[in-house]
Amino acid sequence: MNAPWLKKLLPHPRWSVISVPYVWLLLFFAIPFLIVLKISFSTLAIAMPPYTPVLEYIDSALTLKLNLSNYLALVTDSQYFHAYISSIKIAAISTLLALLIGYPIAYVIAQMPPSSRNIWLMLVILPSWTSFLIRVYAWIGILKNNGLLNNALIGMGIIDEPLKILHTPIAAYIGIVYCYLPFMVLPLYTNLVKHDKRLLEAAYDLGAKPWKAFFKITLPLSKAGIIAGCMLVMIPAVGEFVIPELLGGPDTLMIGRVLWNEFFNNRDWPAASAVAIIMLMLLMIPILIFNRIQQREMEGRLT
Amino acid sequence: MAAEVSSGTKDPARADKVGADDYLRIVDIRKEFDGFVAVDDTTLSVRQGEIFALLGGSGCGKSTLLRCLGGFEKPTAGKIYLDDQEMNDLPPYERPINMMFQSYALFPHMTVEQNIAFGLKQDGHKRDAIARRVDEMLTIVQMTKFGKRKPHQLSGGQQQRVALARSLAKSPKLLLLDEPMGALDKKLRSQMQLELVNIIEKLGVTCVMVTHDQEEAMTMAHRIALMDSGRIRQVGTPDEIYEQPTSRFAAEFIGSVNMVNGRIEEDMADYVTIRSPKLEHLIHIGHGVSGFEGQEVSFAVRPEKLSIGKTEPTQPHNKAEGIIEDIAYFGSHSVYHVRLANGTKFMANFANMQRWASESLTWNDKVWVSWGENAGVVLTS
Ligand SMILES: Nc1ncnc2c1ncn2[C@@H]1O[C@H](COP(=O)(O)OP(=O)(O)OP(=O)(O)O)[C@@H](O)[C@H]1O
Ligand SMILES: [Mg+2]
Repeated sequence: MNAPWLKKLLPHPRWSVISVPYVWLLLFFAIPFLIVLKISFSTLAIAMPPYTPVLEYIDSALTLKLNLSNYLALVTDSQYFHAYISSIKIAAISTLLALLIGYPIAYVIAQMPPSSRNIWLMLVILPSWTSFLIRVYAWIGILKNNGLLNNALIGMGIIDEPLKILHTPIAAYIGIVYCYLPFMVLPLYTNLVKHDKRLLEAAYDLGAKPWKAFFKITLPLSKAGIIAGCMLVMIPAVGEFVIPELLGGPDTLMIGRVLWNEFFNNRDWPAASAVAIIMLMLLMIPILIFNRIQQREMEGRLT
Repeated sequence: MAAEVSSGTKDPARADKVGADDYLRIVDIRKEFDGFVAVDDTTLSVRQGEIFALLGGSGCGKSTLLRCLGGFEKPTAGKIYLDDQEMNDLPPYERPINMMFQSYALFPHMTVEQNIAFGLKQDGHKRDAIARRVDEMLTIVQMTKFGKRKPHQLSGGQQQRVALARSLAKSPKLLLLDEPMGALDKKLRSQMQLELVNIIEKLGVTCVMVTHDQEEAMTMAHRIALMDSGRIRQVGTPDEIYEQPTSRFAAEFIGSVNMVNGRIEEDMADYVTIRSPKLEHLIHIGHGVSGFEGQEVSFAVRPEKLSIGKTEPTQPHNKAEGIIEDIAYFGSHSVYHVRLANGTKFMANFANMQRWASESLTWNDKVWVSWGENAGVVLTS
């Protein structure tokens, strides 16, 4: 049992712990990714599954057939290009709005006495505990022509005719900002609450008025929180499908809808896969930049 | 342990240089936190060009008083005048006062140069004027080589120099130091104390510092205010505070002291005798004191003012017999703990002037401690 050769063969117990996240990533990220990647290089076929194999072994010949037409279509068909641009634009504007709304919220909570901070933080997170879909549907009830908002505004005599908000880009922005706001507030709060009050006092002491001290001290020092919050909102927002589908209008073009159309309406799995892969690549760019910045800061701290 | 009174660092000619006697006036300042009195009706004057220390134990309110001066706390009552200008209603960013914070509060995202330039920029100086001033400050604190570094790339002592340069860059009328040596180790501490004093004196800036370390206050300050639970107990030069404490608190707070209680037996114009139940012999004071016969007083005498020996002194008073209970060796001197027959304890310092000296005084030896007629002080409060 305790034979040394057996010990050598079996992995060290420590390994079993370390390997858990790697196994997870392999099973639920790397393998699905490779499958999608493979499908994106195949050709559409009326079959089950609806695409041709990439790697074939026939008559003792192994053939690898990479079909690039799915990717070429993305370049040549301007519909895709517009969808990507529009997705990024909508995600970027939503992120900016979430930052403008989330920063003051996080800032105010961080300034509160420690006893009441958690309550307010809970209030920010609480809505996330109900189903995402239900919350989006609730917004339909609020924004529709005879919904809560319009009825209230008409009731107060501010407007005579209901505002058309639902099924416009504005409704999509409202939905995205609302749903992703906690992801902006939390990293900002975590950052801001750690700030040393004496730094601000030192800035006042040296003659900086409060607003100047905020822009010169607090804002730069919360950079990491801003970046983290923006990434957490921007990345899922680019691929968002449900919110623009339910709240946005026909002109709210997002890549998630293109993906859906290719996959379910056209049953064109290869094209859908190519769209997904390119979207992933686009999202990787900001992640890599973020990583680079963090790494540089870490190195700067060490030397 | 006993703090050596050292005024060596301070320029003796400086007393003549100081300007207005009440450059900084603190009048009846009171600060309450939800009914808790942190600073209790305090009045103080600080001379122009002086280094003034607020000394006191933890929680006595010295930081609070300093923060009132900086404008970070609003006094509940009272007035602060600097150079005859009332400060009360000025926010921190409009006061001609700069503070060096306890753990320096350097801006971590700015280089040393940017930190020092920060205050100058707020005043809207020209770029090259700021650069010149920053260079000048870096030279003064000997940090010219480190201008491009970030604070976290500096040692504690270097950070302190930067903090000092930053708070001096705007040539404030008043410099505030909050526990300036708090973050430094002991060795660096004594070195930086001298350096700090040199720089502050060179620039001639008026300075109020806060410390709980009596040695630090004694080495750095021209005058010390001793604080206790929100009140000032005594103000004076380091040697006044050490040699002429006016209260039991002051005598016990600074250095170590032997204190016995007693009653005034004879109250003459040129001498006083005190009878203490703890001592067999009378205490004889060689000058008059403001008291009356029969008054309860304390007599305090510093350990280094006591003589210790095996033979009984010839004088009829100011002596006590006991046995050596403990000896603490400090290199330059030893402290003998002598216990009298009734249990009263005395500490006597003995300078180790010869390498093999010690006159063979050792544990359990019967010894006499004695003191001169002007060695101690009589305290009535
Ligand atoms: N913001 C505040 N709210 C309530 N009480 C306070 C506040 N700041 C200080 N105090 C109280 O006032 C008293 C004096 O505090 P202060 O900070 O001035 O002490 P200190 O003399 O500087 O002591 P230390 O040497 O420990 O720093 C303390 O009892 C403290 O608890
Ligand atoms: Mg303090």
